[in-house]
Amino acid sequence: MGQVEVALIGAGLIARLHLDAWVLAGASVRVYSDDGRAEELAAEFGVRAVGSLGAALDGVDAVDICTPTGSHHQIAMAAIAAGVAVVCEKPLSASTAEAEEIVDAAERAGVPLYPAHDLRFSPPFARLHRLVASGGLGRGAVARFTVTGFHPRPWIGQVSARAGGILTDQMLHGVDLAHWIFGDVVRVHAYYQGDIATPAPAGTVGVGTAVLTHASGAISQIVSRWTAKQLPPIRVAFRVSGTGGTVDYDSEWPQEVRATGGAAEKFQYHGESPFVAEMREFAQAFAGGPEPRLGARDALAAVRLTQAAAESAWSGRAVELPVKGAA
Amino acid sequence: MKIAVLSFDEDYVRLLAEMPGVEVVVAGPDDRVRAAADRLGVAHVDSWDEVFALRPRAVVVTSEVARRRDLVERAAGVGAQVLCEHPLAVGEADAQAMVDACAAAGVRLTVASPACFSPAFAVVRQGIADSGVGELLTVHGAFNSPGRSRGGALDDHAPYVLDLVDAVLGGEVADQVYAQANSIVSGQPGTESAAFVSVRYPSGVVAAIDCSWGPSVNQRAGDTPEMTFVGDQGSVEFTANPRLLGGFDRWEAKTDPRSVMLTEFVAAVAEGRAVGPDGAAGVRALRVVRAARESARTGRPVDL
Repeated sequence: MGQVEVALIGAGLIARLHLDAWVLAGASVRVYSDDGRAEELAAEFGVRAVGSLGAALDGVDAVDICTPTGSHHQIAMAAIAAGVAVVCEKPLSASTAEAEEIVDAAERAGVPLYPAHDLRFSPPFARLHRLVASGGLGRGAVARFTVTGFHPRPWIGQVSARAGGILTDQMLHGVDLAHWIFGDVVRVHAYYQGDIATPAPAGTVGVGTAVLTHASGAISQIVSRWTAKQLPPIRVAFRVSGTGGTVDYDSEWPQEVRATGGAAEKFQYHGESPFVAEMREFAQAFAGGPEPRLGARDALAAVRLTQAAAESAWSGRAVELPVKGAA
Repeated sequence: MKIAVLSFDEDYVRLLAEMPGVEVVVAGPDDRVRAAADRLGVAHVDSWDEVFALRPRAVVVTSEVARRRDLVERAAGVGAQVLCEHPLAVGEADAQAMVDACAAAGVRLTVASPACFSPAFAVVRQGIADSGVGELLTVHGAFNSPGRSRGGALDDHAPYVLDLVDAVLGGEVADQVYAQANSIVSGQPGTESAAFVSVRYPSGVVAAIDCSWGPSVNQRAGDTPEMTFVGDQGSVEFTANPRLLGGFDRWEAKTDPRSVMLTEFVAAVAEGRAVGPDGAAGVRALRVVRAARESARTGRPVDL
C-alpha cells in the first residue's frame, strides 16, 4: 500500500495541529473547509485544497473531521456512506444519541472510526496505561486526573450549561483516561461551576469535579478546569493506585530542557507532539497495520461519560449507567 | 504549665516535653507507660483520677475514640483547655455534648488538625479572604498517606482536609455530600482504602477530596493534606509539609507539623486565646464524614 490519503475537513486551530501531524506522519493530505480558509492553510503546508466535501472524500483512505462539533455527525455519516475511514476530533458529538448513530453506522459498514483523544498519545499517559494494563499496579483501585487549561480565544458554538458548556471538551480528556485504564463506568456524579454555557468570552472560568465508579469497583476523580489566565497554559496531573503500588505525574515537573530569563524562548523543547504519534498510529492502521489504541467504542464511551457528568451536574443526582454496553 | 497527655502517645509526649515551660504528665497503671515516662523524663501517675486531681492547665486527648467524651468532660470539669484528636466521637450527639461541656466550663475545645496551625496556612486564609484568588470556587484536597486505622480512609484522612476547607469558609455548613469508596487495596471489606468525597456548600463552593491511602512521602513527621484553592482569578496550593531534604526515595519535612501545632496550642493556652479548629468544626467534619459514608453506601448524594 502506498502513501495514505487523508481528507482534512476544517481549517481552524485543531485542523492546523492535525495537518502538521499528518504531514510529519507521511500522509498525503487534501484540505476542505466551508469557511473559505482551506486554501490558505493548505498552502502553508504545501498540500492542496479542494472545493467540496465530495471532492475531499473522493478516493481517500480517511477523512479527519476538525470542524465544530455540531457538524461532525453530517460529515462522518457522509464519509461512512462513502466507505471512507473516519478520524474525528473530540467529542465525536455533543449528544449521545448522535454519537451512537455514527458508531452504529461505522460498525455496520465496517468502516474504522478513530476519535482524536490526543492525551492517550502523550508519553506519561501512554506509560500509565501500559503499567496498568500489564498488571504493574496490581488490581486498579483509585485514580485522580486533573486537567487545567487556558482557552486562548472566545468560545463559539451553542453548548448550554445543561449539556456541559465549556467543560464538555475538557472533561472528556479525564473521563477518557479513566475509562481507558479502569474500563466500564456504572455511576457518574459531578459538580460544575462557573458561567459555562457557550458562546463565552476568552478567559471564562469553569471547574468540573466528577467522580466515576467503575464496574470493576475502582473509582476515579476527574477535575477539569478552565482558568482566567494563561499561567501555565496547560497543566495535567494524575495519581493512580492499585494493589501493586502508586504512580503519579505532574506536567509541572522539570522536563528535558528548562531555561530561564530572556533566553527561554530559544530553548523550547517538548519532544514529539502527541498529535504526530497519534496520526502515525492511525496512518499505520489505514495502511493495514495493527489496530490503534482506541476506536469507535471509546469515542462513544467518552461522549456518554461527559454527557452523564453534565446531566449529574445539572440534576444534582448521581447518574447510573446501564452495565450492558456501559461507557 | 502542666499538660496531661491521655492516653499515652509517645510522639505527643516527646514533642511537648521538649518545649520550655511545659511539664508533661501521663497516666496509666501499665508498667510500660511508667517505663516510657521515665525514659522521656515526664511525670507519671497511675490513674485518670490522679491526673485530674493535679489540675492540669491543658489536656491532650489521644485515647481511643470511645473514651474521648469522658476524658474531655472531665478535663472541662477541672477547667483544663483541651486538644482532642479526630474524630471527637463516633456519633454526633456525643461530639456535640463534648462541645457543650467545654462551652459550659468556659474552656476551649481545640481539634488536633496539624496543618490548620501552620503559619503558612494563616497567610493562605488571609490571602483568600482578601480576594487573592478572586471568588473562591473549588477546593481540592488530597490526603494520601498509609492507612492508620481499621476505620479506613474516610475517618483517617477526610477530617483533616475538611478542617482546612472549614477554616477558609469560616465555618460554613455543607449542604450536600457525595462519596464513593472501595477497599481494593486494604483487602478488608469495611476498611475503605480509597475514597473520594465531593462536598457542596451553600455559597456554591465545592470541595473535591481524595482521601485514598497511598505511600507516605514523609514517614518521620507524618503526612498532611495537599491543598489547592481555586478561584475565578487564580489558585493557590498549600502544604504544611514542604520538603527539606530528599533522598532514600523519601523526603524530610522542614518541621514536624505536630510540633508546630503543639507550640501554637501551648502559646494560645498561655495567652488565653483561641487557635486552630474548635469543637464545632470537629462536629461539622464528623457530620460530613458520616454523610460521606452513607453516600458511598447508597451511591447517591446526601443532603444535610
